[in-house]
Formats: sequence, C-alpha cells, structure tokens
Amino acid sequence: MDEIIKMTNEVFVDSFEMEEEQLTEDATIFDDLGLDSLDMVDMVVALQKKFNVKIRDDERVRNIRTLGDVYRYIELLRDEGVTSDTSA
Amino acid sequence: MNRVVVTGLGAVSALGSSVDALMAGIAAGTSGVKYMEGWSEYKGLRSLVGAPVVLENVKDIPRKQRRSMGRMSIMAVQAANEAIADAGLEQDVITSGRTGCIVGSTMGGAEALYESYKTILAEHDLAELSSMSFFQCVSHTAVMNLTQYLGIKGTVMATSAACASALQAIGAGCDLIRLGKQDVVLCGGAEELHPTVTGSFDILFATSTHFNDKPESASRPFDRDRDGLVCGEGSGIIVLEEYEHAVARGAHIYAELIGYDTSGSGAHISQSDKSSMVRCLKNALADADVQPEDVDYISAHATATIHGDGQEGSAIKEVFPASVPVNSLKGYIGHTLGASGAIELAAVLKMMQNNLVYPTLNLDTVAEECEGINHVRSLLNKELNIVVKNCFAFGGINASLVCRKIK
Repeated sequence: MDEIIKMTNEVFVDSFEMEEEQLTEDATIFDDLGLDSLDMVDMVVALQKKFNVKIRDDERVRNIRTLGDVYRYIELLRDEGVTSDTSA
Repeated sequence: MNRVVVTGLGAVSALGSSVDALMAGIAAGTSGVKYMEGWSEYKGLRSLVGAPVVLENVKDIPRKQRRSMGRMSIMAVQAANEAIADAGLEQDVITSGRTGCIVGSTMGGAEALYESYKTILAEHDLAELSSMSFFQCVSHTAVMNLTQYLGIKGTVMATSAACASALQAIGAGCDLIRLGKQDVVLCGGAEELHPTVTGSFDILFATSTHFNDKPESASRPFDRDRDGLVCGEGSGIIVLEEYEHAVARGAHIYAELIGYDTSGSGAHISQSDKSSMVRCLKNALADADVQPEDVDYISAHATATIHGDGQEGSAIKEVFPASVPVNSLKGYIGHTLGASGAIELAAVLKMMQNNLVYPTLNLDTVAEECEGINHVRSLLNKELNIVVKNCFAFGGINASLVCRKIK
C-alpha cells in the first residue's frame, strides 16, 4: 500500500501542483484539495498513465471522495490484477 | 464617431517579457533569432532557426487559470498584465462590461495541437487526452483564457487572419469604440513557435534556410540576400480607449488611431499582391483623412520573403513620397505571425513617443526590387506625428493602421 500511496501522491504533486503536506488520506478531493470536475478528468488520465490502467469508463471512479478513496481504488485494481505497476 | 486612443502597451517577444525589454533589444541591435535545437529531427524541415520566447514567472498565474493555457495564452496574459498596468486600468473598469477583448492568432496552440494528435494517433485512443487539450488547441484559446483570467465581461472576439490577425483585432476594437459599444478594448495577438508552424511555411519555400549557422543574420527584410521569413513567437496587447474616457481618468495617451483598413486581394492564396496593398494603404489614409506626404514613418510588414518584400516596397513607393522612412522590425524578433501587428505596434508607438526610428536589422544591401523607398539604415531622430503600420497576410488579407500623436 505504501507504494500505491507514494505513486498516487506523485500524481497529485505533478499534475495539480499539490504540496506533500496537503496529501492526507482523509483530504477530500474537491473541498480540501480544490480540484473540480475538469481536474477529475485529468486525475483519471494521470492515474491511467501512472498505473498503466484504463479506468475512464469504470463507474467506481465516480464514488471517489477522498484521497484515501483513490488509494483504496488503486489497491482494488491491483487485487483484481488490472494493474501490476506497483510493487505494493 | 468616438475617437480612439492607445493608453497601454504590453509585449512578450524573443527579446524579453516586456515592452522595455523589446525596445532595449532593438536599441542594442539584438536579434532574438536562435538555432532551434531538436528541429533537425524533422525530415524535410530545412529552416532550423526561430525567435523563441523564454517564459518567465509562469506560476504567477494560478494553476486553475493556467491549466487551460498553452504558451500563447500565457504570453497573452503576461502582455495584457503589462498593458493594463501601463494604462493604469482599475479592476472595476476591466470587469465593467464596457471593456472588451479581441486577440487574434493564426491558429490555436501549436504545441497542444501537436501533442493532442500525437496522443490520439499513437493508438487511435482518445482516453489519454487531458480535459485541457481542447482549451489549449482551439483557435480562440488566447482570448478565451485571457478574458477568463481578467474577468472581462464585455465583447470577446478572436480574429484569425494569419499575419494580419493582431492588426485586425486592433481594427475591430477600434470600430467597437468608434461606435460607442465599448469604452476600452484590449486588443492584440499571440502566437507560438513550433516546428510544425515553421514547417508550414518551409514547404512553401517561404522560410530562411541558408542561415542556420548564422541565426542572428537569418531574418533580413528588404536585403539582397534575404531568403525567407524566420518564425518567432510572442504576444502583444494594446489598450484601446475612447478618448474622453481616457482623458477623464488622466491616462497617458500614446497616440490616436485615426485610420484603418483591412481588405482582400482576391488575387492569390499565398502571393503578396502590390495592387491590393496599394488599395489597403489608400483606404487607411482616406479613413484617417491624411495625405501620404503627412506620414512620418511606415512600419512595414516585410517578413524577408523574396516576393512579399518586393511587392510591399513597390506598394509603398507608389503611395508615399520617397522621403518617408520605412523599416521592418522582423530582423529583431522574427515574424511573430498573428502577434506581429500588436508587438510591432507597441514598438512603433514607443518610437513615436521618443521620436526615434530604429534601422531594419540585417539590411546590408537593399535588394534591387526593394529600392525607391527611404529604408532606415541607421538610428533616425525625427519628429513622428503620423505613422502607418502594415500587416499583409497569407490568403491575400491586408491590413493597415494609421496613428497620430496627440499633442
């Protein structure tokens, strides 16, 4: 899981210019991190690249509210064997 | 009709991110043209020179406003910030609905277009596209981003007429104020340098190809040894304002826009056409109600193409007395295409303010077909009361603007 958190946080630092200290598990994507619907599209694109997955049409993305939700979603993809681009 | 004056100037060019940097570079005789590293990887691209902007302080623009901006929009924002500060425009004026914005370009963001199609075509897959691709690619990307950034609620338009785009934006803004539809209009152009842009001219044999090892000498308008244009990039933004509005708030006035014309050649898709240039110049002078002999200086379009410079030189020779000084600024900053009319007008109005005309850089020997006009070959001190700025674009789209100093 540590590797998933590290890689996901890299997406938020690189794509959305976030500071590391903002990236806590309970931070809400919209309110705490300040992303909007357009950023969500780019978050999906960036996660696709980072973890080598295709998730744009995955309905579960719509349920993401917090950064922790992103970690757990990626973990789920790993467990499903959809992504192996993490050593976690 | 209302009178229209210029109260603010902003420019980002290869010579720096301000009008002062532009003028300092011109005064020093500096060419912003460089050898473009990496361009030699493109097969068929023979012109490997360009006049790139070194972007500075990009993160001064907040991420959420910057995310939809490519280079051209960032340059437009920086030029606009300078122009607004120069004009001393207050925020409530900018957002009043009586302030508009017209910014032109040849095309949308060249880099974003290239990257977007590269992404799509790699696997014919749209799923990897950023949500921002559209906003950076579209033809009105500069004005769209700029007006969102500034909160402008007045008239918003994007002119697209290749190298005449910025001057058309200024002309359209002038008309809005003349007709009383706006009090202030931020006008200008923006363009990006990219190998695909230079390539589009290169395949037409319109670019400089013999000076890749001497880039500073590559852009040489009116010169015997010129061999084509050198693409540049940047943005110029000019604050146009209704005269009484400017006077009421005590604004500094650079000049009054007294005449403008834009018209087509109806002759050829790419070849410059002297007779239509003559018509455009005469129309602009008529609109200004001035005689050719009243003009103190002409800032030529002159991009250093073989045909274009000859046609423009001949047109100027036909319309104006041989004594009127003529220069081209493209030796300094390359051809900034859709931004050129505004960047160069900023320089022209600074020259007018200081009663100085800088020489055409790299004009060592006047080409025979460009003779018969008064080329400025060294720094000229001259009272400049009425000046003309030309922009002549592919597609036979011509534009000329006449400005007069207010005393």
